[in-house]
Amino acid sequence: MATVTAPAVTSAPPAPGNRRRLGPPDRVGWLFILPNLVGVALFTFVPLVSVVILAFTDWNLVSGLGGIEFIGVDNFTNVLADPLFWGSVGRTVVYAGVSVPLTVLLGMALALALDRDIPGRGALRAVFFMPYIVSTVAIGMTWLMLMNPSSGLVNQVLGAFGLTDLPGWFASSYWALPALIVIAIWSGMGYAAVIYLSALQDAPTDLYEAAEMDGAGPWRRFRTITWPSLLPTTVFLLVTLFIGTSQGFGLVALLTAGGPGDATTVLSFYMYQTGFQFYRFGYAAAIGMVTFVGVLALTLAMWRAQRGKALND
Amino acid sequence: MPTGPSRRHVLGGALGLGALGALTACGQGTSTSSATTLNVWGGVPPESGPGALVEAFEAAHPEYTVVYTRFINDDRGNLKLDTALQGGVDIDVYFTYSMESMALRAGSGLALDVTDRIEAAPELAPFLDTEAPKAYWQDGQVSALATTREPNMVVANLDRLEAAGLELPTEWTVEEFVETARILTTDGAHGCYSMPDVPRIGLGPNFWFTPDGDSNFSEPLFLEHFTRSRDLISDGVLFPWTEVLARQLEAYQQNAFISEEFALWVTAPFSLRYLYDATNYPHEFRAAAAPIPTSDTGSWNTGVFGNFVMINPKSTKHDLAWQFVRFWITEGSQFMAPGGKIPTLQNVDTDQMLDSLLGPEAEDWFDVESFRRVLFDDDPELFVDTNLTAFPEITLAVEQQRDVCWIGERSPEDAIASIDAQATAAIERYGRRN
Repeated sequence: MATVTAPAVTSAPPAPGNRRRLGPPDRVGWLFILPNLVGVALFTFVPLVSVVILAFTDWNLVSGLGGIEFIGVDNFTNVLADPLFWGSVGRTVVYAGVSVPLTVLLGMALALALDRDIPGRGALRAVFFMPYIVSTVAIGMTWLMLMNPSSGLVNQVLGAFGLTDLPGWFASSYWALPALIVIAIWSGMGYAAVIYLSALQDAPTDLYEAAEMDGAGPWRRFRTITWPSLLPTTVFLLVTLFIGTSQGFGLVALLTAGGPGDATTVLSFYMYQTGFQFYRFGYAAAIGMVTFVGVLALTLAMWRAQRGKALND
Repeated sequence: MPTGPSRRHVLGGALGLGALGALTACGQGTSTSSATTLNVWGGVPPESGPGALVEAFEAAHPEYTVVYTRFINDDRGNLKLDTALQGGVDIDVYFTYSMESMALRAGSGLALDVTDRIEAAPELAPFLDTEAPKAYWQDGQVSALATTREPNMVVANLDRLEAAGLELPTEWTVEEFVETARILTTDGAHGCYSMPDVPRIGLGPNFWFTPDGDSNFSEPLFLEHFTRSRDLISDGVLFPWTEVLARQLEAYQQNAFISEEFALWVTAPFSLRYLYDATNYPHEFRAAAAPIPTSDTGSWNTGVFGNFVMINPKSTKHDLAWQFVRFWITEGSQFMAPGGKIPTLQNVDTDQMLDSLLGPEAEDWFDVESFRRVLFDDDPELFVDTNLTAFPEITLAVEQQRDVCWIGERSPEDAIASIDAQATAAIERYGRRN
């Protein structure tokens, strides 16, 4: 906060240990950020603290605040012994573990293609980015029709190529998760491509010229110049997409409601079911806490790996 | 750099916490509106009956005002009502439609015990019947009254039935139903959307639980039902469940019936409104009603007494609330009839009910007499579940396993075993707390 409210017009910084009185510019600054601060406190800080507290309780919402019963770490021990929880963890790992790397990979390929001087490049960039800004509902409904097993365009095209025993997509517990992965990749790779395109602008052109003069081929130029310059962007995309995908809820709620069976009940949807269908809010909060710790650990691991790689380079 | 928190910061923080406390305290509040104003929350749109009912109540009791608030009867709407109930919103009377919600609300003390009041009202004596309950009983007390009868029936495409040379059944067994569905199955259409709930026909209320309260899914009727349904789907007699899932058809069965994709439809009276709405659901066939088939083990209709009305214990106007509830159930029924709500006490003339259910040009679209017979004259045997232990969890387990079984990806034996295991675990885990 001090960095925001200590503009250059204030007097010299206070000695350590002294209290600093707020001058008029400080007050104005505080007033400017007050609405946002209140919003953050009410809609972020209070819910965050509530979740932590609720995770140690048995509460069903309907019983009111008086119905909150503290049960220690029971929820956590139950979560860790819950086969439905671990099933949803497994599906989340598959969902994120397949869709995120492929989104990043295809986004990079797309960016490299669009980085060249090809006709209609601007329009193509807009087209590929469009799924990222289209509403989830519109995306879901469109894909629901496209992937109808009997009348959808996807299976009709596959059938036209002579394929038989076509996928059941959302009506099959084997294909529903792959179908969601396909949609996640499709809607995310345009975003990845745009981020990569901006990173490619920073690639050192003089190195490319020198490499070309030295006879380096396209693959070698990519491996030794392009890839290192894209590494920080790749890590950024992996981390942000991983966090986003592991919290992915909209498409699942819209297209499969976690089914068929529990084939697409990923962690976020299991948490929703527990909280808002079963009203087991304490248990749902514990699932949220465990999920948070898991995602945080994986994020830190990715970040550390990238930092180690950068130091080695 | 900032130093430690100033007094001002501490004071601000304390005020913030105080405000938060005040907000939370609102959650424990009670009625704040005038003593003559009653707040009622229901899921039926005002124009479908509640509006006229409220007007009639206010005309009969001009000293009172009733504010009717409609909530959408889905997950989000019920969450809104639950939040309002526990958050101290001024609600005196409210409605509960699903047993999942009933389990939560009644189990959390959000329903006033009205047993004494019913005992003091002779015309409400049927609600004290514990053999065939029309109310929700909990620990020997009535906490919710069913305002409607919702019998199930088999709606038949009469043109298809006649074309196949079949008579409309006035009573039949499950086997005869299956045989009829087979005959009605053609290359372009299925015989039926799905089987009637045969375990419910045989076992009636609380069919998921043994008398001791344990899981009852080892009862052979459940496995037989899953197996037979799956076989009939494979034979094309029942609607393919892959299509049901791919088209999210469970909520839109009427569209497939209207477009004649199947000929027999196990449904409830609320579906009839699609069949006389030729503008939005154009079709040419007439429909008739047959009763739910019976089995060797029972003849429960599978329909319910529903639309439960409850009084909020936090209300400060229990007497006025009860007066309104009593009015709704007795004189008020006639105003709900146009919306197709068959009253629990059957205190609305059958012809008037049929007019409401079958629309203004009933003869054009329906075999009216068959609906009179099946819905009213036969006096179908309805139920109210009273054991709601882990109800949402078991409901989800049944639906999930049904789906994977009927799309052919899991054997009926494995599906039922999985439901049994999940139900046992849920009862064990939540039974003690509910």
